[in-house]
Amino acid sequence: MISGNDLNRTSVLVVGAGPAGLAAAIQLKALKSNVDVVVIDKAPAAGNHNLSGAVLEPRWIHELLDAIDSEWRETDRAKKVLQNVVSHDDIKFMPCGKMTVSMLPIIKLAKLFRLNFGQMLHTDDYVVSISELTAWLNEMAEKAGVEVLHGFSAEDIIVDENGAATGVKLVDQGLDREGNKQQNYQPGEVIEADFFVLAEGCCGLLSEKFIEKAGLKRQSPQLYSVGIKELFSVSEQQFEEFTSGRVVHAMGWPIWRPVIGPNMFGGGIMYPGDKNHICVGMIVGADWKYCDFNPQDALTRFKEHKFVQKFIEGGTLAEAGAKMIPEGGWYAIPRDPQSNAVGKHNVMILGDSAGFVNMLKIKGLHNAIGSGIQAAEAIVDSFDNSNAAAGRYTELLEKCGIMAEMHSAANFRHSVARFGPLVGMPVSVLGGLLPRWNVEPDFEAMQQRKYVLNPGTDYDKDTFTAMAQTMHREEEPSHLSILDESICLDKCTPTFGRPCITFCPAGVYETIQDEVTPANPSNCVHCKTCQIKCPYDNIRWTVPEGGEGPRYGRM
Amino acid sequence: MSNYIVLVKQVPDVSRITDNAFDPETGTLLRTRLAAVINELDTHALALANRMRQLENDPNGQIVCLTMGPPQSAEVLRYSLARAADKAVLLTDRKLGGADTWATANPLAKGIEKIIAETFNGDRDCYILSGMQSVDGDTAQVPPQIAQHLEVPCVTYATGANYNNGEFQFSRIVTGGTEVVRPLSRPAVITVADYDWPVYPSFARTRQALRTELIEWTADDIKATQTGIKGSKTRVTRVFPPGKTNRKCQQIDDVEKIQEIITDALEQQGSEKDQDQAEAKYVLPKLRESLCDRSFEGNEKELHDYQLLCSILKDMSIKDPEQIDDDVQARILEKAGKKIHKNALKSMVEGLKKAEPSYNGQVWVIAEYQNGKIIDATYELLGKARELADSLNEQVGVVVAGKSVSEYSTQLIQAGADSVYLIEHPLLEQFDPAAYRTVVADVMEKYKPQIILLAATTQGRTLGPMVSYKLDCGLTADCTGLSIADSSRKGEIGILFQTRPALGGNVMATILTKDSMSQMATARPGVMQPIVPDPSRKGEVINHKVELGEKDLSMEHIFAERKSEEAEFNVEVIIAGGKGMQNRDNYERLVGGLCDTIRQRFDVSVERGGSRAAVEAGIIERPYQVGQTGTAVGPKLYLAMGISGAIQHMIGVQNSNTIVAINTDPNAPILKQCDYYIVGNVEDIVPKLMKLLTEKSGVSR
Repeated sequence: MISGNDLNRTSVLVVGAGPAGLAAAIQLKALKSNVDVVVIDKAPAAGNHNLSGAVLEPRWIHELLDAIDSEWRETDRAKKVLQNVVSHDDIKFMPCGKMTVSMLPIIKLAKLFRLNFGQMLHTDDYVVSISELTAWLNEMAEKAGVEVLHGFSAEDIIVDENGAATGVKLVDQGLDREGNKQQNYQPGEVIEADFFVLAEGCCGLLSEKFIEKAGLKRQSPQLYSVGIKELFSVSEQQFEEFTSGRVVHAMGWPIWRPVIGPNMFGGGIMYPGDKNHICVGMIVGADWKYCDFNPQDALTRFKEHKFVQKFIEGGTLAEAGAKMIPEGGWYAIPRDPQSNAVGKHNVMILGDSAGFVNMLKIKGLHNAIGSGIQAAEAIVDSFDNSNAAAGRYTELLEKCGIMAEMHSAANFRHSVARFGPLVGMPVSVLGGLLPRWNVEPDFEAMQQRKYVLNPGTDYDKDTFTAMAQTMHREEEPSHLSILDESICLDKCTPTFGRPCITFCPAGVYETIQDEVTPANPSNCVHCKTCQIKCPYDNIRWTVPEGGEGPRYGRM
Repeated sequence: MSNYIVLVKQVPDVSRITDNAFDPETGTLLRTRLAAVINELDTHALALANRMRQLENDPNGQIVCLTMGPPQSAEVLRYSLARAADKAVLLTDRKLGGADTWATANPLAKGIEKIIAETFNGDRDCYILSGMQSVDGDTAQVPPQIAQHLEVPCVTYATGANYNNGEFQFSRIVTGGTEVVRPLSRPAVITVADYDWPVYPSFARTRQALRTELIEWTADDIKATQTGIKGSKTRVTRVFPPGKTNRKCQQIDDVEKIQEIITDALEQQGSEKDQDQAEAKYVLPKLRESLCDRSFEGNEKELHDYQLLCSILKDMSIKDPEQIDDDVQARILEKAGKKIHKNALKSMVEGLKKAEPSYNGQVWVIAEYQNGKIIDATYELLGKARELADSLNEQVGVVVAGKSVSEYSTQLIQAGADSVYLIEHPLLEQFDPAAYRTVVADVMEKYKPQIILLAATTQGRTLGPMVSYKLDCGLTADCTGLSIADSSRKGEIGILFQTRPALGGNVMATILTKDSMSQMATARPGVMQPIVPDPSRKGEVINHKVELGEKDLSMEHIFAERKSEEAEFNVEVIIAGGKGMQNRDNYERLVGGLCDTIRQRFDVSVERGGSRAAVEAGIIERPYQVGQTGTAVGPKLYLAMGISGAIQHMIGVQNSNTIVAINTDPNAPILKQCDYYIVGNVEDIVPKLMKLLTEKSGVSR
């Protein structure tokens, strides 16, 4: 038998094998090859829980790749993963379901005048599948000697009285639906480490727990968007017409129309995928007011738009998924009130977990990788005193420009959240001159209003979850819980009519015998929209057993 | 104080077939484009081994995992090490590639011998566990063949183990029931059909697995004698996409729609089933008008060459291949332009000159019976055997073994047999794989039939591999098509073309036997057609005497639960419930209720059924189990409620005209293999449906 006491200890534990966590691990090995680094992830395999557009600004990925392999440009994987480069920045305004107006001249003008909107251009960036990118980074990490262990869900972080972490607790496995131990029950182990790198992505379970336990603060609450993405296999002609270098960002219809509404922040996207594949997506600010709104309905409307339709008509859906985006930006970065560090002592918070998304660029992937690189350097600088890591990490974030970039975009999303897109966007041009607006958490935005452009047909959530290839053991305890069921019945039902049933992209929630329950937790795609958007903040998401959830391969 | 060897295999993940996994030209699924995973039933085997070690409570008991495959198969060993295994052996060698089950079993058995000798220091007190079958091959042949090689007991289709007075007993599935057996000696091979308590990996073990050095052996290290393509007893001659399953896979949202579908399904007249279609009747070459009138199966180029050659010969009025001398060959080449290569022509002509059948002897069926009745599958095989034998101008033989089986002779002769071989012995009262294998091999060796057919039941799928391995014959599992044809330029005449689904039914493969005394195949129940019994048929009955002693038995039958009641599946509608029914009460209320409603509303025969999972969960009794390990059914309408649709289940219902599924899980495999489905909870949908059907029962259809 194998006794594994010392195997439950490592020098550096990275939670989350996404671009941020893997970048940290890879960079760490590049700097100091003998350091013991373990990355854990709840996904069944590399990239399975990663979903993004994604437009990738090259700077940080190049820096990371250069550090480990000077010949990386010649590898087959690089040629495949980074095959699409933006050559055609297609920014549109859609006033209705038929017309489009190009916004490119305005954005170019903004760039000329160095207004914040100028950042919205993407030419020469990569368009990637983040699942594929992550799988590639994973390979490189393993090659560099990192232990990347998939299928391990972390449910808690253990923090000592000073706010430093001592361990991470994995989820208990082999329980039945009622929580009784089955014959194959296995208690979750506690993994000890000197450094903890939290890179779980948006609204990370451990990151949020740590923020609370260690007393980190955000200047204003984190704001989110919900992104729905579908990948279509299309004809050669459609793909050729679209081209592999075009990225479409569309504002307006069907989520925003001046004065008459609807009045939501966000927009549609169309990106090229692998040969003869086009992604279509819809990103909607989670502060929507409409209690009958489902972002998937907006995607349906977007796909009906004449411009979009011609590229995907006759195509077949190859993959689909949903995920949230942290958009609060600069003001929502969690910091230690004493030291101002993004993290505390031996714990660093990276990428989307920290909210390093630049909303003017509508990109965060580059900063995720960038923050990983800084975390690695901070660890190397703090080997003698692990509690100095978070402070050093934050210094490096300042030094490398990530913080400056975040600061420059600080007011954009906040102005929109405060004043709505019509007033907020132009106001945000004033940038640094603006005060920090008071914004409310997304769940408080819900009103008894209806989405006027509802397509009338139900979005096919069954096909959606099938295309996300999500999977959970049916017999395990639900990883979604409603805190107080009486709120659903007495307050939510009469006021908003149980919006979770509508907005959950996977159809997890159902009314059964007059009660709202997470009836199908096995359909969950781990987007966590329910936790953020339940109007009474009455839903909690935790991790299920390891190796479950969606299995994205090309998202 | 036992040790355990668990056989694990890396397989393509057929549960996740993406749009880019097909060959754009042929439409064939490419296994290399699918993700590689551990065969799921092998994880059950690992879990059972782990459980057995716990039950035995022996700290020294070791679990050693063994796999054979390319270097990347090491992944499944790491997977096993992270969960329960202590050591892992990788058999990897180019020489081992391309093997059929025969040439897989041989090196694995040699590997097992080496593990016992070296790792267990010769201690033979061990159990060899593996999944019942792999999802890519679905043959279930390798483990019984290994047992045959090692000459040890083989417990197939196990679902659990008990530890009793220092010995293990295993529960196993048999057609129409379950039984508990104890292998009489060790080592023993155990194949696991279902043990769904997966072992979770621990963090520490997973890290340890990355640090554990795998034991790597080559073909020479284990002194394998029969390996790779060369050592195989079968070869694949053609791989092609399955014909359109005709399953519509339409989603319906409206319960009302189901009612229309039921009506349509019941009115539909005998639509096309996925049956073995009798092709143009085969005639032996020497009985043909021209010896040059040949159609040779082969790849596309070969086929084309032959067609061209035959038409040229026809033009030249050459009927006897002996006439084709060098001179004629030159003229043929001239006529063919550059379309036929000189050497190709030479070998084709060589082939044409051969007109004698490659095999001689009768066409045999190994009969199976239950509760005093020959099973339907045996009659189906007899129908097929009759057709094959007529093509070959041969006779049909049937072998029946048991304690007292002479009563079956008449029925078997009426159903198409020319000779019935009775093997009667008191020790054959129950199916003991070792004893049955001994007597069947014995009668085969004496009479040397050219073709042996067995039903792909739990019994046939255990006996077939053991007999084939003992007699050095190739065996093709679970055939859905069997026909006689001539094969390619080798001049193989009158041989059995065995067609079967593979990769979870996503591709079809046609397989030929080679280097064997007899061509052996198991065939899926419900696919072949029996012939109408003819009371005037005559045949001979041969009593084949065998010597058997207690030493020939391999297991003790401790307990058996057979059909106490019988399901009548020969009906128009079958309504089956799965694990999704949750409990017996729900099943009774929903399935039972719907059966009654449909029977009344449409005035049709209806029977209830269940999936294996439902039977295991005690929701319904074993006789009602539908599927490969239960009963294969083919009603006009099959309603599957809360059934996920594992491949073994779907195989058993593929002959249904219309399949309607209700399932909460939008990823359930059944939704891709049915005609209509509703995603939703049976508890919501079925009562609505029953209400609708009852309300409208007054309205004429």
